[in-house]
Amino acid sequence: MLNFFRRSPANFEVNLTESDISFNVKRGDSLLSSALGAGVPWPFKCKVGSCGKCKCRLVDGKIKPQLDFGYVLDISEINEGYILACQSVPKSDITVSVNLNENKVSRK
Amino acid sequence: MKFYVNVRYLIVPFMSLIAILGILFGGSYTWVGVGLFALNTLIDTLTRNIHLPADFDDSGESYGIKKLQYSVMFFMLPVFIALQVVLAYRIFQYNADAPIVISSFLGFSYQAGISGFNLIGATISSGLWAGLGIIYGHELSHNKKEGFLVSRLIMALSGAAHFTYAHVYNHHLDLGHEDDPATAPRGRNIYTHAWLSHMGQSRFSYILEQQRLSKRGSSALNIDNRWILGYLYSLPSIVLFVWAGGAVGVAALFSVWVIANFLLEALNFMGHYGLIRKDGPVEHRHSWDNDSVFTSWFFIEIGRQCDHHVRGETYFWELDDVEGPNYGIGYFSLFVITLIPPLFRAYVQKYLDNWDEKYASAEEKLIAQKFSH
Ligand code: FES
Repeated sequence: MLNFFRRSPANFEVNLTESDISFNVKRGDSLLSSALGAGVPWPFKCKVGSCGKCKCRLVDGKIKPQLDFGYVLDISEINEGYILACQSVPKSDITVSVNLNENKVSRK
Repeated sequence: MKFYVNVRYLIVPFMSLIAILGILFGGSYTWVGVGLFALNTLIDTLTRNIHLPADFDDSGESYGIKKLQYSVMFFMLPVFIALQVVLAYRIFQYNADAPIVISSFLGFSYQAGISGFNLIGATISSGLWAGLGIIYGHELSHNKKEGFLVSRLIMALSGAAHFTYAHVYNHHLDLGHEDDPATAPRGRNIYTHAWLSHMGQSRFSYILEQQRLSKRGSSALNIDNRWILGYLYSLPSIVLFVWAGGAVGVAALFSVWVIANFLLEALNFMGHYGLIRKDGPVEHRHSWDNDSVFTSWFFIEIGRQCDHHVRGETYFWELDDVEGPNYGIGYFSLFVITLIPPLFRAYVQKYLDNWDEKYASAEEKLIAQKFSH
């Protein structure tokens, strides 16, 4: 009952599994925009959820998807926890696995 | 400053309400929406040389108030509904041969009944403002969850149910590329573009749904198919207009949709005509900016296409001049020019030459050369 009145924190912490990088996300902001704002070289292209380049795997924690990931990700990827960072708003502290070298590979 | 920044984006809701009142008052007032369009073209032309940057406070924060701007965008849904309801009401009167007399309602006098000529005015007014209001459907297509659904409903009311998905998953991804139906190649005129772009985007949306559903092992003929669902959202409009006026109602609704879609595709046409992208990310050079002051405010900064396509997640009130390719004039003025294809080609040639010389990559230049032969 009391949980209902508890305000969620203003920031959530994001930890990356493959490195010791961590950064904060302001409540309501997307994972990608916060990563880029913190200077993390996160791969991206469209920022509107259509290219799949910002894909990463949610290892722990909760996010709120802003668009249906099903247009870009396969069912198996979604089941494995893959998300689109540009369309994900963290709802708790999260741990994420992302290939930061993906930035160097370019598609159309 | 905060007040000024937020109020300047209210031109379309305000003028849409005037157009609605015009249809309600009847008589020659039904043409008010058309008159406003002409007035806007004049203002846009007279102010074409005024270009202002976006406004930020000292800490770099925009003055835009998100809650207010979102409320306005959501408010446009009932405005779109009202545009159709008042037109249907007039069609009903026309069909019923209601006598054309001055009546009064709550102390306001209006003309009951309507002539064929003024019904045409009401239909064009309704179509023009449904088309201009589509900018809100566009903005909300980028703004998630509830906003996305409102975008779909607004677009469905304008007969453009396919738009929301095609815009995000096709236009933003394939911009400037031959895979993007909304990018007009050099030499194409606005009329051909309106048809090809509309049909191409609708086809894309269908295939997108087909693929999404097949990943889940479902058939495309499914109520979960959002392409089908989008068109079903247009069904209440069809029922309303058939009920109000039978064949006349259908003709009026069809006209509204044709006008609205033509304006929508005109925006795509003006935003990207002749620009080329080979591979790699979308950059500022792959769009034309139309950011003269009246266009910026009226079209809620949709004319800042260069910035919008690179930062698709950015709210319209934060979009800025990024010194990309720029026609130098606003949308209303340019729209009039596009209606006369030879004039448009002559007008745009020097801008395309400049783009080829200053903006295009080596690969893009090679493609551009093919168009000049
Ligand atoms: S950057 Fe394209 S899907 Fe996220």
